[in-house]
Amino acid sequence: TTNTTTGATTFNFEEYMIGKAKSVHKALDMAVTVKHPEKIHEAMRYSLLAGGKRVRPVLCIAACELVGGDESTAMAAACAVEMIHTMSLIHDDLPCMDNDDLRRGKPTNHKVFGEDVAVLAGDSLLAFAFEHLVAATPTGEVSPEKIVRAIGELARVIGAEGLVAGQVVDIDSEGAVDVDLEQLEFIHIHKTAKLLEGSVVLGAILGGGSDEEVEKLRKFATGVGLLFQVVDDILDVTKSSEELGKTAGKDLVADKVTFPKLMGIEKSREYAGKLIKDAKEQLKEFDQEKAKPLIALADYIAYRQN
Amino acid sequence: ISSSTSQFDLRTYWTTLIEEINQKLDESIPISYPEKIYEAMRYTALDKAAKRAPPVMCITACELFGGHRTAAFPTACALEMVHAASLIHDDLPCMDNDQVRRGHAANHVVYGEDMAILAGDALFPLGFSHIVSHTPREIVPETRVLKVIAEIARTVGSTGMVAGEFLDLEGGQNAVDFIQEKKFGELAECSAVCGGILAGANEEEIQRLRRYGKAVGILYQVVDDILKEKAKSDGEIKRRGKSYVSVYGLDKAKEVAEDLRAQARKELDTFESYGEKVIPLYSFVDYAADRGFSVGG
Repeated sequence: TTNTTTGATTFNFEEYMIGKAKSVHKALDMAVTVKHPEKIHEAMRYSLLAGGKRVRPVLCIAACELVGGDESTAMAAACAVEMIHTMSLIHDDLPCMDNDDLRRGKPTNHKVFGEDVAVLAGDSLLAFAFEHLVAATPTGEVSPEKIVRAIGELARVIGAEGLVAGQVVDIDSEGAVDVDLEQLEFIHIHKTAKLLEGSVVLGAILGGGSDEEVEKLRKFATGVGLLFQVVDDILDVTKSSEELGKTAGKDLVADKVTFPKLMGIEKSREYAGKLIKDAKEQLKEFDQEKAKPLIALADYIAYRQN
Repeated sequence: ISSSTSQFDLRTYWTTLIEEINQKLDESIPISYPEKIYEAMRYTALDKAAKRAPPVMCITACELFGGHRTAAFPTACALEMVHAASLIHDDLPCMDNDQVRRGHAANHVVYGEDMAILAGDALFPLGFSHIVSHTPREIVPETRVLKVIAEIARTVGSTGMVAGEFLDLEGGQNAVDFIQEKKFGELAECSAVCGGILAGANEEEIQRLRRYGKAVGILYQVVDDILKEKAKSDGEIKRRGKSYVSVYGLDKAKEVAEDLRAQARKELDTFESYGEKVIPLYSFVDYAADRGFSVGG
């Protein structure tokens, strides 16, 4: 339990996360219903409702609330980013990609529904993310202009300039001996940080944030996204499988390039420290009371033990 | 109308538009790092053998209602991008397992299955971001942009083209009507509807475009099936997927084609007040039914 005690009130992060994850789960459950053809929709729901911490949707809602919007203002966008995240996991797990049989302890989508359905369920989630963003964002609160802007942002961060670029360079770097820090950062900024950036930026735009606020939150999210990966790499080296809840030392065995491998454990820890400091710096000019969820989320990502 | 239709030169109209569309598409997918993914996207999206039927339909429908071509071009390109994305994924070994597309090696044959998955995954959002970044706001209000995006997303999604492909792979033979409607009718429908939305057509006009586009799309495919069946009796082309002909037989398929042609033309009746601009839409129906010439590389 992480209780951040700054100022008069105590912020209970765990309670906040659980509460938000619940609302997000409920909204996702209602957004993707089983209709004809049933198998496709069941496959979409299987991965979408498999659980997980819902970090991206919570970031989206927290950013929206920080700039003055409500949870309901950003809920459609929060669902959309989770649909995209799920879609990228489904496609990533395919035999022609990472070929993973398990995801969060459960058989992967293509193991249950077959490869053809897994490809199509992913494509459907991608498309539905945009349809849902348009259909379910409350038009009484958010202007069409803002929704259009949000769509542009989401499309950009997940495409060939964003998420896909990270996956391509990641595939290319597998087994390569000459991957440098610049390339490693490129992979993580695109593969992980871009969608976190999109999540936060969508929330900020829809919540009515000024351009300046949106850009500050964009920097915050990029830093936190990179931080997420640096910490992941450190944990893989320093923790046991039991502590992680997944196979430790996986990166070493897979001969994957990691931050500890390129700069050593100590320097990686220093780098993580710098990233968290810079990320929080971006939040300084916001209302500190309202900024607590995002600060706590950043702390959680930096100091998590698994 | 029928006499002026015969004077209208669809072939020139279409090939001229294809050139413009190809140029816009070329500009809309510039190569940057990592180059490989952009090359894979361009390989299918810029295929010179493509007929560009969805963009042509979109632009023509937009012009019918007095919309300017520049209002429709970004959406026209987006339609071709999402079209390419679904073709790339449909051709994969775990799907239709096609090695050849439009006379060239399929995307995954050239770039590998992993890149083919990612090229598709990148072309879908590029379509949306292209509409947002390139549609001229001074002539197209945001509300219309949103409608177009929702229309395209629904069309390519789980109740649209995905549903058609899924039932083509796993559904029984009796699913053929649904498959034809979803796999081939949906994109033509969406293309016509998007053109109308961009130009500010009213709700009733949009519904007509919807029925018109769907009928033309299915008609094209049914006639394709009939032509392939004829070619097969000459002993060469092997059929894949489910077709009207294989389920209902040649005579019934021809009957269906005649009905669709009549339906599509009927939807256009009320648009005759728009004058000559409706003529290309009539000629698409005739082309889908008769194939008087061939377009694309």
